[in-house]
Amino acid sequence: MLFQGLVGLSEAMYLWLVAAGLSLIFGVMRVLNFAHGSLYMLGAYFAWVAFRVSGSFVVALLVGPALVAAVGWVIEFGFLRRVYSAPEAFQLLLTFAFVLMLDDVVKLAFGPVYQSPPTPAALSGAVVIGHSILPTYHLFILGVGTLVGLGLWLFLEKTSFGLVIRATAADREMARALGVRSSRLFTWVFVLGAWLAGLGGALSMPVRAISPGMGEFIIIEAFVVVVLGGLGSLRGAFVGALLIGLLHAYGLLFMPVFELALGYMAMAAVLIVRPWGLFGVREG
Amino acid sequence: MAPRRGTTRRRFLQSAALAAAGLGLPKAFAAETPDLKLKKPIKIGCQTILSGPLGGYGEFMRKGTVLAVEEINKAGGIGGSPIEVNFRDEELKVDVGVKNARYFVQDWGADFLIGIDSSAVALAVGEIMPSLDRILVVTHGATEKFNEDLVFKRHNRHCFRVCVPVYQDGIASAMVAKDLPVKRWATISPDYEYGHTSWKMFRAYLKKLKPEVEFVGESFAKFGTVDFSSHITKVMGANPEGIFSTEWGGEAVAMVKQARLFKVFEQTKAVMIGMGAAMDVLQGLGPDYPDGTWASGRYYFGYPDTPENKRFNDAFRKRWDGPPSYPSETSYTAIHAIKKAVEKAKTLDVPKVIEAMEGLELDRPAGKCVIRKEDHQAVYAVPWGQIKHDPKFPMPTLANLKVFPTDEYYRKPPFAPVEG
Repeated sequence: MLFQGLVGLSEAMYLWLVAAGLSLIFGVMRVLNFAHGSLYMLGAYFAWVAFRVSGSFVVALLVGPALVAAVGWVIEFGFLRRVYSAPEAFQLLLTFAFVLMLDDVVKLAFGPVYQSPPTPAALSGAVVIGHSILPTYHLFILGVGTLVGLGLWLFLEKTSFGLVIRATAADREMARALGVRSSRLFTWVFVLGAWLAGLGGALSMPVRAISPGMGEFIIIEAFVVVVLGGLGSLRGAFVGALLIGLLHAYGLLFMPVFELALGYMAMAAVLIVRPWGLFGVREG
Repeated sequence: MAPRRGTTRRRFLQSAALAAAGLGLPKAFAAETPDLKLKKPIKIGCQTILSGPLGGYGEFMRKGTVLAVEEINKAGGIGGSPIEVNFRDEELKVDVGVKNARYFVQDWGADFLIGIDSSAVALAVGEIMPSLDRILVVTHGATEKFNEDLVFKRHNRHCFRVCVPVYQDGIASAMVAKDLPVKRWATISPDYEYGHTSWKMFRAYLKKLKPEVEFVGESFAKFGTVDFSSHITKVMGANPEGIFSTEWGGEAVAMVKQARLFKVFEQTKAVMIGMGAAMDVLQGLGPDYPDGTWASGRYYFGYPDTPENKRFNDAFRKRWDGPPSYPSETSYTAIHAIKKAVEKAKTLDVPKVIEAMEGLELDRPAGKCVIRKEDHQAVYAVPWGQIKHDPKFPMPTLANLKVFPTDEYYRKPPFAPVEG
C-alpha cells in the first residue's frame, strides 16, 4: 500500500521535471512549448550517446541534459525569439513543428528501434520488506526530483536572478520598465526549462525504452499537471505531478477501470472550480 | 498528438522507383512468370504503426514488404505485372485505419490491402472490406474475433490473415504453462482487445489442462505506457508465482526493464511474454533480457531449419543489415500469398482471387502453411522458447524451443465460445 504510493511518486518525478520546465517557460515567456516532450526525448538520446561513449552513467546524466540545454538555446535564440510579437497560435505552431522535426531527426539519426542501455548495477538493487519491493533506482529518482525541486526553489527565492525571473513572471511590462533585459532573460529561462526536460529524459534512459515519439506521451501528461497546478506556478507543477502520480498508482489498485480518466477528471474539476489552477494566480 | 504522415515524399519516391525497376526489367527475367495481361502495376497498400514508441515495430513490417516486392518485381512481378506498394501510418487508431483503407482503395487505386497491427483496427477495417470490394490480408492484428466471428460466423469473405492469431499467445502459452511449476498466475497486459482476449484464453485453456491453477492478479496498461512500476507493484502484491504478459514493442522493453528492478524474475518462477521474441524486443533489451524468460511471436527467425527460412534470412540480412522480425515474415508472406493466388486465379477479379486464396498452400519462411477455407486463417506453428544469451549472436535468442502441432492449439470451426 505504502510502496504503491512511493512508486507512484517516483513515476511522478519524471513528470515533475518536464512540467517544471514547461510551467517556468510559460510563466515567464507566455509560450506554451509543445516541443517540451521532444526535449525530454532528446535528453534520453543524448544521455544514451554519452553513456555509449563514456560508459559512465554519471557522465551521461551530466552531458545529456547539458546538450539539451544547448538545443534549447538554439530553439529560443534562432527561432522562438522571432515570433514573440506574433499571435500565440503562431508560437504554438512553431513549437509543434519542432515536435515533428525532432521526432524525424531522431529517427534518422538513431533509427526507429528502441534503444535501451543496461540499468547501472549500482542502482539495480532494491529495498525489500516482506512482499513489498522498492527498487533503488526509484529511490534515486525520488531523491533527484526532490533535490531539483529544492534547488529551483532556492534559486528563485534566494538569488537576484531568481528575483528577476519572478518579477518578470508577475508583471512583464513593469519588469521591462524597471530595466530588466527580457530578451536575455527569456533565453536563459528557456535554456533552464530545456535542461529540466533533458534531465527527466536522461534519468528515464536506463529504465524506459527510448524511441522516437517518446515525448508525445509525456507532454500530454505534463500539460495536465501544469493546468492542474496552475500555469506558471512551479509549486503547482510539483504538487500537480505528485497528485497525478498518486492518482495513477492508487487508481490502478482500487478502481482500475477508471484509472485512465482520474487525472483528466481531476483536471476538469480544477478547471471548473478554480480555472487558474491550484496554485496559479487569477489574472485580470 | 502523433505526427500525421501518410506517404512521405521519400517513401513515395521509393515505391515509385520500385515500380519503375520492375517495369524496366528485360523480358528474360520474367521467363518463369507467364504474362497474364493484368493491369500494370498491381497496387498493394500496407498500413502499420510507423510512429511513436511502437514505431520500431512497423519498420520491420515495412522491410519485409519491400523485400518481397523487390524480389517479385525482379522475377517479373505478379503474372507479368509489377507490384507498386505504398505505406501509411496506422497509429493503432480505428478511425485512422479506416481512413487509410478508404484512401488506399478509393484515391490511390489499391488492388490489395495488407498490414494492420491493432486488433481493433483489423476488425474495423475488415468490416468495410466487402463494400470496398478488395481483399485484406492482415499480418499482425491477432484477435480471434477476426477469423472466428467476422469471417466464419458473419461470412466476410474479403478478409484473410497470414499471422498466427491469439491461439499462440493464449493457447500454446497454456500448453507451455501447464508443465511449469507455477500455480498462481497474474498478468500485466495491454488494455485493449488483444491484451484482454489473450489473457481470457490463457486462463480458460490452462484451467482445463491444469485445474489446480489460480489467477490471482491482473493489471492492464493503456497504450503508450512507459512506466509499468505501479502495475508491477500492484500485481506483485498478489504474490504470484508466474507472470503472463502480452505487452509488445517498446512497451515490452520498458516492462521487462522495470520488472527486473522490482526483482520480478527472482520472486517468480516463470515469466511468459507472448510477443517477447520479436526482434525489436530482443534487440531493445539486449543484456537486460533475463535468461529463461519464456517468449514467442508470430515467427522466430531461428525456426524452422528449412531452405526457405534460410533463404529468407539471408536475403533479409543482405537487404537490411540485420535479422528479420516476425512482422517482416508475415508481410513478406502476405505479398507472396497474393502473388500465388492471383496467378492461380489468372485474374484480379476479386471473387475469383478469394476462391484461389481459400485453401492456398504456402511454403513460407515460417514453415508449411495452409490458409483455412472456413475462416481464412493461415495455419502454421510458431515455437515458444526461453531467452538465452548466446555469444554467437549480437542479441538474445530462444533456446529450449517448444513447438506444438497446429491441430492441438488452433481453435477449429464452429468455434465453441471460450469459457471463463
